Amino acid sequence: MRKGLIVSLALFTALSTVTAQSYQEPTLPKISGNTTLEVWSWVPNLDKTVKEFEKLYPNVKVKVTNLGGGPQTYTKLNTALKAGSGAPDVAQVEYGFLPSFIDTGGLVDLTKYGANASKNLFVPWTWGQVSPDGKAVYAVPQDTGPFAMVYRKDIFDKYKLKVPTTWDEYAKTAEQLDKASGGKVKMGNFYTTFAPWFIALAWADGGQFFKRQGDSWVQTLDNPSSKKVLNYWNGLIKKGYVGTLPAFSADYWNAAAAGQVATNFEAAWGPGGYASSMQGKSGGNWRVAPLPQWKAGGSASGNWGGSSMVVTTQSKNPAAAAAFALWLNASKTAVETNFKGAGLFPAARAGLKLPALNDKTSPPIKFFGGQNINAVYAKASEGVNVNFQWAPWYPAVDANFSKQIDAMVKGRLTPDQALAAWQKESLDAARKDGYTVR
Amino acid sequence: MSAVQPTTTTRARRARTIRERRGFSPLQVLLLGLFAVYSLLPLWWMIVTIFKDNGQLFTTPGLWFASPSHLLDNVRKVFTHQDGIFVRWLLNSVLYSAAIAVGSALTCATAGYAFSKYEFRGRNQLFGLILGTIMVPGTALVLPLFLIMQKLGQAGVPLINTPWAFILPSLVNPFGLYLMRLFWDSAFPTDLIEAARIDGASEATIFWRLGMPLVQGGLVTVALFSFVAGWNNFFLPLMMLNSTSLYPLTLGLSVWNNTTTGTERLYTMIVTGALISILPLIAAFLTLGRYWQGGLATGAVKG
Amino acid sequence: MRHRVTPWLFLSPFLLLFTVFYLTPVGYAVYLSLFIKKRVGFGPAKDVFGGLTNYVRALQDTDFLRSLANIGLFAVVQIPIMLIVAIAVAIVLDSVKGRAQRFFRTVFYLPYTIPTVIAGLLWGYLYSRNLSPLNQFLTATGRDPLDLLSSTVVLWSVANIVTWTWTGYNMITLYAALQNVPHDIYEAARIDGADGWNLVRRVKLPLLRPTILLTVIFSIIGTMQVFSEPFVLRPLGYVPDNITPNTYIYLAASRDVQYAYAAAMAILIALVTFLFSGIFLRYARLGDNT
Repeated sequence: MRKGLIVSLALFTALSTVTAQSYQEPTLPKISGNTTLEVWSWVPNLDKTVKEFEKLYPNVKVKVTNLGGGPQTYTKLNTALKAGSGAPDVAQVEYGFLPSFIDTGGLVDLTKYGANASKNLFVPWTWGQVSPDGKAVYAVPQDTGPFAMVYRKDIFDKYKLKVPTTWDEYAKTAEQLDKASGGKVKMGNFYTTFAPWFIALAWADGGQFFKRQGDSWVQTLDNPSSKKVLNYWNGLIKKGYVGTLPAFSADYWNAAAAGQVATNFEAAWGPGGYASSMQGKSGGNWRVAPLPQWKAGGSASGNWGGSSMVVTTQSKNPAAAAAFALWLNASKTAVETNFKGAGLFPAARAGLKLPALNDKTSPPIKFFGGQNINAVYAKASEGVNVNFQWAPWYPAVDANFSKQIDAMVKGRLTPDQALAAWQKESLDAARKDGYTVR
Repeated sequence: MSAVQPTTTTRARRARTIRERRGFSPLQVLLLGLFAVYSLLPLWWMIVTIFKDNGQLFTTPGLWFASPSHLLDNVRKVFTHQDGIFVRWLLNSVLYSAAIAVGSALTCATAGYAFSKYEFRGRNQLFGLILGTIMVPGTALVLPLFLIMQKLGQAGVPLINTPWAFILPSLVNPFGLYLMRLFWDSAFPTDLIEAARIDGASEATIFWRLGMPLVQGGLVTVALFSFVAGWNNFFLPLMMLNSTSLYPLTLGLSVWNNTTTGTERLYTMIVTGALISILPLIAAFLTLGRYWQGGLATGAVKG
Repeated sequence: MRHRVTPWLFLSPFLLLFTVFYLTPVGYAVYLSLFIKKRVGFGPAKDVFGGLTNYVRALQDTDFLRSLANIGLFAVVQIPIMLIVAIAVAIVLDSVKGRAQRFFRTVFYLPYTIPTVIAGLLWGYLYSRNLSPLNQFLTATGRDPLDLLSSTVVLWSVANIVTWTWTGYNMITLYAALQNVPHDIYEAARIDGADGWNLVRRVKLPLLRPTILLTVIFSIIGTMQVFSEPFVLRPLGYVPDNITPNTYIYLAASRDVQYAYAAAMAILIALVTFLFSGIFLRYARLGDNT
């Protein structure tokens, strides 16, 4: 009995030591000679984070350029890659846009620098994103945006609604809410100009949009999951249960703060934006729940956004650049700082267990009523389909989505027609750009 | 129209007293008032907004103040965010725009002088070519311009990621050239040049000592408009500059505005920065009003 | 004859910069426009000579042609409205002087000094569905709010930003021209009994004619290149890629990495602008002769 206690105590101590030390650090190479690395990224406060790297490698200087997110960063990177000079050593690229940059031939295959040894440090589906052909590795995963449902607990309580766990329940709850609130409160909001948001919903249902086949491509924007998801949402929009305010717009924050939106689907980096955009308004009333499922009892999710770090062929010291990219996205110091300072939800497996993810004093967690929201997102991350692929002409696909959905919301196209048009026009664009694609 | 004096003559001023004796009629007041409201409304929104935080911005009426005031907070944040880089950007903007203003006024003045005072082969064709190129949209010239900068870098003239990559192309101002040519035409009579030449003055002396003082109005006008163009340009610096510390203000603000990831959204702080960023321009226009309005008139009447 | 070299010395600074940073990029764009991409399997595309392929493609590209139609409609509606307001305000300001006049002149000029990036921020807010003061007024009086950023009306929301920015600028140009008119012209007209509306119609408007022509030409050139205004509204809703030719060209070059095709379209736009300006000038000159 006593012996048993001692053993279990010992076991317990051993276990807790393991947990405390279980952060799996990446194996970083030596870097010889003095080097300056130029980094393009829109991660806030990155210029401070890299100081830690410079401490680790006193012979390496890291220069960070922050261009803000969005298209202008890509324009600059594209131009520099095309021009053959002027590109940085390391640059931030979102997963969906990665193939278009791989296609320029301007990215370094990191397997030369031992990238495959780091594969297990990252959440499995992110590795599929940075190594689309399963051989070459073109980037180090940085952050992810697994999908979950944010909702207003106060509204659910007020109208005595149950948090839906399936899409079927979600639609029924929407109807109840509409009746109970007299149409004043919308159940959700469809982001009509964000293709990745829609794709994440279809991704969660196993939807496949692009595939390599032999030496050509197959594009299936109108896949069965797409059709199912879009028809479902169009139904909710038509009935007036769901709004169509643009993401990140003044109108959306206004509606969300005023309690006119009961739920939405946001990536793991979303809650931070909610807290800071509404600055306390409606704070404490929000919660996060897993993404509703098509099959009851499932735990599938999709991903919206998230980025990786690429090394360009213009880098004079690609080995050092690769080491930096790995350190930035896998070391405990960097992953923790990037989460705290910039809200980056780690792609590193070990990062998902960091205590910092459940810091009760952080603004997002306070805004979400003290809930351990990142545990929900970490769980969602496990449910993201691993085999999802993008295509090099995705930027054009992304833009064309907004056009077709605009026509659908205005009633000029049915969901199936919108998807067919999306598929056809994107296919035409890809072919005109010289791709062999079906 | 015959030659017109760039500055208003006394005779013209007297004449105006004749035609301006009446006050505004009610209809005129209505027109001016409506147009004033239209011009000022967005600026009023800006002024109101810098007193708010994000929460108030999204929940209170846009055209009136909300309490408590967050003005000091916003101003403090603008000047301290990212280690106070806003001040650096402000100084950069002043420096770049001043260089563009002076350089562009000088190059337009010399070139305008050549077109105005000398006969040379291909004069009209060249002038036409220079004015014609403004019809090519700049958006398609980004890559070519970038490639040229890169070639110059390989030839030992590193320009990319230096302020020159933004300043030098901005000096080319076809409209300024057009304006300066008109100024030379009207303000510096050819007889004066001939007389000075007979006195033995060199061409350079004639230009600097005799000519330049007479076209001051034109110089200020071109300088001012180049200053504004430089201040407001964000596309060229975006393509050419990599170091955050080299950014001009407009680019810096647009970067802040594009930061949609992260835990900090800066809406009202950005509006505060934007308002601060346009104050120097307004000040410049107010103090130099006399010159540039005369300058525009010259360009306009001769057109 | 004495001065064969001197003018070129005076020209050299401007000409050097012009050649390096303007003419060469335009020439390079023309060269670039003759190439097309060729791909075999995966990996980077090769640029091969394609002659006029890109130009033919542009002339068959319905999205590009639609952008031209958009901007044509924009020009026909926006330029007259902007210039008529500018002329009216300039004439009113010219007829009175004093502190109020100076105040109005300054106020009308302010929008021009505001960078488009910032103007987009301001108007984007004023256009929003729930927060726009206009919509708050409509909602308060029991009407439906307007969606000023809807894809069907956003061209006119852009036109409003352009009008807001440039009316004051044109007004000052016209006003300055009126201020510089020699006094004897007015006196003569007054002796002939011209006053009020007659003075405007018979004296001021004819005097403004060259200035108006100039502002029209510059407005046509400016309109053909409208870019920043629609561009800054893009994050706020669905703004079609081809709302103006210049946004379409920009997106082809920067987003779709089709520099050659973008260059070809830019050259076509320059030709169209040249054509329109020429037609307008010709038409205006014909008016002179009658």
